[in-house]
Amino acid sequence: MSDLKRNAALKMAQKGFLDMLPLNLAVIPWGILCGSLAIQRDFSVLEAVLMSALVFAGAVQLVTVELIAIDAPLMTILFTAFIISSRHFLYGLALRDKIKTLPLPWRLSSGFLLTDESFALSGHAKAFRGKLQLVYAISAGGSFYIGWLIYSIIGIIAGSYLPDLTQLGLDFAIAATFIALVVPTINNLPTLVAVISAGLFSVLFHLLQWQLALVAASLLAMSAGYLTSRAQQRRKIKQAYKQQLNKESGK
Amino acid sequence: MTLFTIFLLACITFLTRYLFLHPGLPVKLGAKARHFLSFSAPAVLTAIWLPIILVHDHKLNISLHNPYLVAATLAVMLSAKTKSVYLTVGIGVLVFVLLKFII
Repeated sequence: MSDLKRNAALKMAQKGFLDMLPLNLAVIPWGILCGSLAIQRDFSVLEAVLMSALVFAGAVQLVTVELIAIDAPLMTILFTAFIISSRHFLYGLALRDKIKTLPLPWRLSSGFLLTDESFALSGHAKAFRGKLQLVYAISAGGSFYIGWLIYSIIGIIAGSYLPDLTQLGLDFAIAATFIALVVPTINNLPTLVAVISAGLFSVLFHLLQWQLALVAASLLAMSAGYLTSRAQQRRKIKQAYKQQLNKESGK
Repeated sequence: MTLFTIFLLACITFLTRYLFLHPGLPVKLGAKARHFLSFSAPAVLTAIWLPIILVHDHKLNISLHNPYLVAATLAVMLSAKTKSVYLTVGIGVLVFVLLKFII
């Protein structure tokens, strides 16, 4: 019996790893960039490694490495990191009911491993509910973390030999990954409305250089999707009601 | 000093990730809130990727000379057609790199 269980857990871990693999490969250039940038901006090896090992957030790392390098005030650095990272509040809220009942170690590791990529996978039916699903989620998130560490360390070792990678367009791989994650999920009108409004609002707010562009655009887009879905529901109810009336008057 | 800053940064990213997973927090989500939150993945991810494609140096860059735009358009079509992350990212990045050399 316990052998069976172990086998099932192993299968789930394997599935989580494999589902994460394409995202794990797509993030290679981005991880190398984060590692090498820290070295090129005069971080020590220890500092550069800890940046990836503890902060574990590409966009936050890129921006704060630059800020630390120009000796920006501590509060500016922390506030900027908070703004960039604040989208995770939405992820936490969305996963709250699935995760809040788990024991503390699982909760802490799920929280630590919660990235854009792992959140995108967490919609998967296999993620989080039940022990096996937890194995799936941790395997997916954990393999991403280990990958991130390895790529950063490659960047750190190669850092002083590499040119400045920030202008090479390595962020395209991130964009392509997110396209690959979002487009297949657009299978109804409300989601389409949410995606289109997210894009429009976010581009607009970025052009206006709002600090909260990302979160503001996301909230507006989620509202747009939600309202569309409610309008659809209301129309369905109305139609059903009309049909019912027609039936009754036809009697 | 940098080590201390890194430690504080780690606290911030962890806090934003963990906060709402904490059961002690007095937040109860009703059906409406959950429905609203169900749009978070497509909304946030798109709010991240489209500006990478279209906004460069604080300016809108909509032209055929923008390799991001051309390669992303292809990636969107590939993803809609195949739903494969490997194909979308692989061919998307390949085309992007080629375009960067050409354009």
